[in-house]
Amino acid sequence: MAGIKFAAPVADLNEYKNVFVFLETREDKLMRPALEMIGVGKRMAEKVNEKLVCVLLGGDIKDQAKEAVSYGCDIVLGAESPVLSTYRTLPYSHIISDFVRQEKPNIFLIPATRNGRDLASRIAVSCQAGVTADCTELDIEQDTRILSANRPTYGESMLAEILCRKHRPQMATARPGIFPVPERIKSHRGEIRIKEVTVDKSMLKKQVLEFRKKEVVDLTAAKVVVSGGMGLGKPQGFSLIGDLASELDGVVGATRPSVDMGWITRDHQVGQTGQTVRPRLYLAVGISGKIQHIMGMKNSETIVSVNTDPNAEITKYSDYVITEDLYKAVPVLLEEIRKLKKSPPLQVQETSSTPAQ
Amino acid sequence: MVKQVPDSQEVVIDPVTMNLNRSLTRNVTNRADENALEAALQIKDRTDAHVTVVSMGPPQAETTMIECLARGADRAILASDRFFGGADTYPTGLTLAATIKAIGKFDIIFAGEETSDSSTGHVGPGVAEFLGIDQITYASKVEYKDGFVTAERELEDGTEVVKVPTPVLVTVLLNSNVPRRQTLRRKIDAIRQGFESWDHDKVGLQPEWVGVRGSPTIVRKMRPIKEKERAAKKVDIAGIPDLVKELYQKGVIKVESD
Ligand SMILES: Cc1cc2nc3c(=O)[nH]c(=O)nc-3n(C[C@H](O)[C@H](O)[C@H](O)COP(=O)(O)OP(=O)(O)OC[C@H]3O[C@@H](n4cnc5c(N)ncnc54)[C@H](O)[C@@H]3O)c2cc1C
Ligand SMILES: Nc1ncnc2c1ncn2[C@@H]1O[C@H](COP(=O)(O)O)[C@@H](O)[C@H]1O
Repeated sequence: MAGIKFAAPVADLNEYKNVFVFLETREDKLMRPALEMIGVGKRMAEKVNEKLVCVLLGGDIKDQAKEAVSYGCDIVLGAESPVLSTYRTLPYSHIISDFVRQEKPNIFLIPATRNGRDLASRIAVSCQAGVTADCTELDIEQDTRILSANRPTYGESMLAEILCRKHRPQMATARPGIFPVPERIKSHRGEIRIKEVTVDKSMLKKQVLEFRKKEVVDLTAAKVVVSGGMGLGKPQGFSLIGDLASELDGVVGATRPSVDMGWITRDHQVGQTGQTVRPRLYLAVGISGKIQHIMGMKNSETIVSVNTDPNAEITKYSDYVITEDLYKAVPVLLEEIRKLKKSPPLQVQETSSTPAQ
Repeated sequence: MVKQVPDSQEVVIDPVTMNLNRSLTRNVTNRADENALEAALQIKDRTDAHVTVVSMGPPQAETTMIECLARGADRAILASDRFFGGADTYPTGLTLAATIKAIGKFDIIFAGEETSDSSTGHVGPGVAEFLGIDQITYASKVEYKDGFVTAERELEDGTEVVKVPTPVLVTVLLNSNVPRRQTLRRKIDAIRQGFESWDHDKVGLQPEWVGVRGSPTIVRKMRPIKEKERAAKKVDIAGIPDLVKELYQKGVIKVESD
């Protein structure tokens, strides 16, 4: 529904109901950010006694629809066609915009992944909706059903609360890795409405010639992340980090400059332009703690840093600070963890503390 | 499409109003937009393409307009009007799309992947939707041949290679190419040539459609991001054995896999 049109407010806000989320897939599988959207969407839907509606497109989506229901989805609104098995802007945005016009959701959440951002703004313009990008906190006001969409701004130093009062749906894209994946409840029941669609040829002019999948380290799901920074001083430092990570059953993270130096590949990068992690334990080794890095790890449950500089910014984000040369401290850490694993001391009294929000 | 933004290295926030202190902040061209312009100029190098730079912003965006001309653009148009101020992504896209439509025919619209100040990445796709054309977002290695644009899209888990017939909007990744410099010679020519400033009338939009009045969203409030207080308990080499034990007791370190 293209055309240079201004965003007309809607006449009757009460016509708009329910929380929609877009479930991003790859090769007909639900992606992790899709599950994160189900979690945050469900919470809001329940708060105002509405339904969580999941929008799912693909070549064969029956299994994913069931999976979505088991994560808490009340209604799956699906469109199936072989040409939808790969994401393409035009067919996806057209079909979903039509869903929006028919079903009139109050809220519509889309993951702020690259394809999610590719899509969200097209729908917002097509449906004359308001959209807030890259949110890290989302809530709904009980009486007004207004979405409180919060996003970091000014180099992540401030949080802006953004509202959309007169336009519907209230759309937001949500930053991946921020919202927890909900528990699966096998007994949860939901309604699955999948229709087969035919897509007009005019929308299929984009050819996807190939997809070169890269091996990605999924840091977002890790329980332990051991990250190295410029303090390592040389590429070999990452083998020490790797040792510590594997001893702790964790994964290796990195700061951006250490990636830029070529010491480690970009898929290990944590931070604003890397991945957002929230493990049980985050070990920051030779990392100064600049805000762009902090952004990606501050919600970790326990943070331990190793840094020769007692005044490094990382200190104030740490639960424990080892103020030592990492090449002295990390071998001791390794040794102690190995000892512990050989002969663990008496049973743990308390289990893990409550996770960060 | 090129935007002037506050230099992200030196953003100053007024502690009282919590707003950006614009008088203390230097303005620069959004870096990804320099890559977008370079992608366009590389096509111009090989074909008889004509490159027009379009921006929406206040009069001080003049420096960005001149800079783009000095890098090799043929024409620069700044949509500038007090009514355009305070726009969210919807009227920003609307204004840019209307400006582009008023200019006339085009084959490719280049934009940056996102701006450093609002970093939504929504304006490019928004413009494409207003104009009813296809798009390629997060592109590197953009090539044009015989009416088709081929590009690599960098996604979280891989690289997608796509081919789209023009007209198409392409958003270009930061650092995906090396922007050419402005030469002194061209700079002098650019200043002499000058840029055009278009108001809402010239763009063909009504005042209530654009800027803050045409924005579906509003900022209710801003607050500093407060971090969880952490103890920063000091540990030296001799303290590491106790630290490891403490973390084990708290369940932070486990001896068996999760
Ligand atoms: C737009 C933008 C986006 C960015 N995105 C990211 C991002 O996603 N992720 C990211 O990480 N960064 C990002 N950055 C970069 C960020 O600003 C910092 O430059 C970076 O995080 C610093 O990395 P570092 O801590 O490894 O290096 P440094 O700041 O150089 O710190 C090295 C630290 O190691 C310590 N050290 C030195 N030797 C030793 C030793 N022998 N033992 C122990 N400690 C030692 C030093 O005291 C110092 O504190 C971004 C920047 C910008 C402008
Ligand atoms: N005011 C503007 N004038 C010109 N181009 C803009 C403007 N705002 C955004 N853009 C373009 O849209 C891209 C994405 O911007 P954003 O959605 O703000 O992250 C930028 O890289 C620019 O190419």
